[in-house]
Amino acid sequence: MTTVFLFILLFVLLALGLPIAMALGLSSVLTILLFSNDSLASVALKLFENLSSHYTLLAIPFFILSSAFLSSGGVARRLIRFAMSLVGHVRGGMAMASVLACMLFAAVSGSSPATVAAIGSIVIAGMVRHGYPEKFAAGVIANAGTLGILIPPSIVMLVYAAATEESASRMFMAGFVPGIMIGLTLMVAIYIMARVRGLPRAEFPGFGPFLAEMAASTLSALGGLMLIIIVLGSIYGGIASPTEAAAVSAVYAWFIAVYGYRDIGPLKNTPWRAEGEGTASAVLRNLVMLPVGLLRSVSHPEVGRTVLDAAKVSIMLLFVIGNAMLFAHVLTTERIPHEIAELITGWGLPAWGFLIVVNILLLIAGNFMEPSAIILIMAPILFPIAVQLGIDPIHFGIIMVVNMEIGMITPPVGLNLFVTAGITGHSIGWAIKAATPWLLILLCGLVVITYVPEISLFLPNYLDQLRGYK
Amino acid sequence: MLRAIAQGLGRLEEIIICLFLVGMTLLVFFEVIVRLMYAELIELFGEGSIDIFWIEELTLMGAAWFVLFGAAYGIKVGAHIGVDAFVRLLPLAARRVVGLVVVAAGLAYCGLFLAGGWVYESKMYKIGIEMEDLPIPRWVTFSMLMLGMVMIGWRLAEIGWRILTGKAGGFDLADEAREVLEDRVEMNQEAAR
Amino acid sequence: DDPIVIKFSHVVAENTPKGQMANKFRDLVAERLDGKVVVEVYPNSQLFNDNQVLEAMLLGDVQMAAPSLSKFGQYTEKLQIFDLPFLFKDMAAVERFQNGPAGQKLLTSMEDVGLLGLGYIHNGMKQLSASKPLLVPEDARGLKFRIQSSDVLQAQFEAVGALPVKKPFSEVFTLLQTKAIDGQENTWSNIYSKKFFEVQEHITASNHGLIDYLIVTSDEFWKSMPDDVRAEVDKALAEAIAHGNKVAMDKATGDRAKIAESGRSTIHELTPEQRAQWVEVMKPVWAKFEDQIGKDLIDAAVESNM
Ligand code: NA
Ligand code: NA
Repeated sequence: MTTVFLFILLFVLLALGLPIAMALGLSSVLTILLFSNDSLASVALKLFENLSSHYTLLAIPFFILSSAFLSSGGVARRLIRFAMSLVGHVRGGMAMASVLACMLFAAVSGSSPATVAAIGSIVIAGMVRHGYPEKFAAGVIANAGTLGILIPPSIVMLVYAAATEESASRMFMAGFVPGIMIGLTLMVAIYIMARVRGLPRAEFPGFGPFLAEMAASTLSALGGLMLIIIVLGSIYGGIASPTEAAAVSAVYAWFIAVYGYRDIGPLKNTPWRAEGEGTASAVLRNLVMLPVGLLRSVSHPEVGRTVLDAAKVSIMLLFVIGNAMLFAHVLTTERIPHEIAELITGWGLPAWGFLIVVNILLLIAGNFMEPSAIILIMAPILFPIAVQLGIDPIHFGIIMVVNMEIGMITPPVGLNLFVTAGITGHSIGWAIKAATPWLLILLCGLVVITYVPEISLFLPNYLDQLRGYK
Repeated sequence: MLRAIAQGLGRLEEIIICLFLVGMTLLVFFEVIVRLMYAELIELFGEGSIDIFWIEELTLMGAAWFVLFGAAYGIKVGAHIGVDAFVRLLPLAARRVVGLVVVAAGLAYCGLFLAGGWVYESKMYKIGIEMEDLPIPRWVTFSMLMLGMVMIGWRLAEIGWRILTGKAGGFDLADEAREVLEDRVEMNQEAAR
Repeated sequence: DDPIVIKFSHVVAENTPKGQMANKFRDLVAERLDGKVVVEVYPNSQLFNDNQVLEAMLLGDVQMAAPSLSKFGQYTEKLQIFDLPFLFKDMAAVERFQNGPAGQKLLTSMEDVGLLGLGYIHNGMKQLSASKPLLVPEDARGLKFRIQSSDVLQAQFEAVGALPVKKPFSEVFTLLQTKAIDGQENTWSNIYSKKFFEVQEHITASNHGLIDYLIVTSDEFWKSMPDDVRAEVDKALAEAIAHGNKVAMDKATGDRAKIAESGRSTIHELTPEQRAQWVEVMKPVWAKFEDQIGKDLIDAAVESNM
């Protein structure tokens, strides 16, 4: 009865168009008010605590901030150039390079729509210019963009870690191989399609220019690529925790955008070396500009807008998360996870059968709600059953994340579809048609990742082994 | 005059929100640096001169304040995520009714949390306990929840008024996708120039 | 009549000593007060974590909880006594103190804010662990230690020239693993169950402090129960506590053996001279908190060692 009320109320409020955060919060409070003798006061306390006692979740605003600086800092453009220099001359190379660029951007950003937008807004038009069908280009990017939450860092993994008290850094490591696997599969599929459909290739410029461009583009992209090393290196190299690494990456991204690349802020259009400038004078000038530029960036409108944008996105996401945790809390006080778990356990499903149920449930849920909210509501229900069935908690987390990825490109509701439709100026229906053939690869990936736990667990276990324990 | 004040307040709101985010980031960054350079720092300032114990609690408190203070701003700029696929199918008159229902539901949300928060707030004020590490009374930190709910309620009431007076066609949600896009397209255009 | 519901909220798994104590209490009450009182146990922080639970209790949403003694700092300064380093020589001394008049009087030290202690439940004596051997206090100088939020514990590590760091469990493990934080202090049971022994190469059997829990209820709720019912509940609780404490003590011994067997960390015993050095460096912390805790209370604790 309570369960039915809670979920129906939630869906009605959502359908009416109440923001997800308030819909979750209001249905929780009303359920408490009507069916429980808990006080409103402790519900208010709980909401406040949800927002103020999850250190792991702090990484979310930090990663969003860092992502905002990177997107505005033109890092995406440099990553694309780097990827193009590597595989651009293969048949279908531009599409493959776009996937590679998505993977690289995914390795510095924690969100999928951000990845699609950052890379897609540049490369889709570029591919069309070079003779690729637009639908092909859009489909590739919509799919490759989902890697944003599978290749670490990942906002969704942070939420899973917070909900289940598993290690965020182990989750990050576990996402690495599956992410690269899906990315490479996409690239192979593109190559095959390119052969079959005779898609364009760039002329191989000869070894000299090839190496020269590779070196130049690597150098140019180094500021962005360094961030991958900073984030993962500081976590695994013993300097910082995931949350701390996120803060470090935000500070670094600001530095690289304002001082390194000078794409925004007070030093915009100020070259590292002016024409005809002597080395000594250039070094001196840049040294002086270091403190001056960084200090002046504090009050610079472009920098301010970037921070405000990041703040806006962070607030919305954290507000949803805080209320979703409240919803999960009500589920728990009403013993609903307990009952559902008993029901599902009662079916006597084997682990593989349970995982199919999980896949279906999550794919459906993906159509109504934000991934973080889904994880927070579903994890308390599904996680204990998974553990009971002997499924590794980290592996289970990766399965949930891949499901969330797929949810982003399945109709009717999928964030990546909306972004893709927006970039290309076509309808959602068009975007769905463009993305669907590639979806097959993701679904195959999901099956393989679900039933071969080693793909996810190999790297974290191997790293542990390196450190001398199993 | 009134408009100037409103604009000033709006600007102040944005600045405060940015300061929260930047402050949190720098606090955590600062802790990492202190830990990393601990040996050098005690050499410089002497043993026992360094205390980073309070940072965690302050950052977390900052996070809660950031979200609660900023949630109302999210409503003002239409940044909250929701599902409006169904509402868009309705004719205008029905959309306005639904919009009013949504505003009422949002106000109920604020009202219930204010009511609950008030009871908690009074209790904490009465027994006067402080935070774990910071010498700040519990009720002071919690008061942001009350302020946040009042601010959200205010913004919702504004929208309700606009719907009632025919200035708005309904409760508008953020189109998250469109927003990510607009920023990006704008920036890439700038970059191309 | 509706039965009286006691929501017992704790933060550990059901198979831990505290979890078993709570379940035992639930079962005993069900057996003896059938229909009059119902105990609902919420493990694993399902309901509230240790930071919120006391506030939720004061609001009437939880009736019983058992947070760590270090968690009461905001409610009373007196309970800080249990954090003082090298105060008790072993668990027997701890028991003598807790069951003696001073320890029993401490149970009512939070009456003015509306909380009432009902009894103590053990976790055990704390050990030091780090990425290098800690044999004398000098070894800890310049290291970073993760500790629970407590002024006393902060002072304790500052006394040896170490940096106290506060991090939630979810991050501590990674930080210890990668040696971003050098060490921590915990009981054998926690070092084993939280897998700290996998990421800390050296553990010193220092027995320098104590982790115990206080079972608390809301004063108002406790007094609202009819006298005869309350007496029965109290009796069931005492039996459950005795049961839980036995489990805890067996577990501490067992977990220490399991850690030694795993071979992943080396356990160091202190010679009496080495131990004396630690005591000498850390004991001045007592004086710092003497005013807050009360000298008579500290004296009573010292006496329990005899
Ligand atoms: Na990512
Ligand atoms: Na979907």
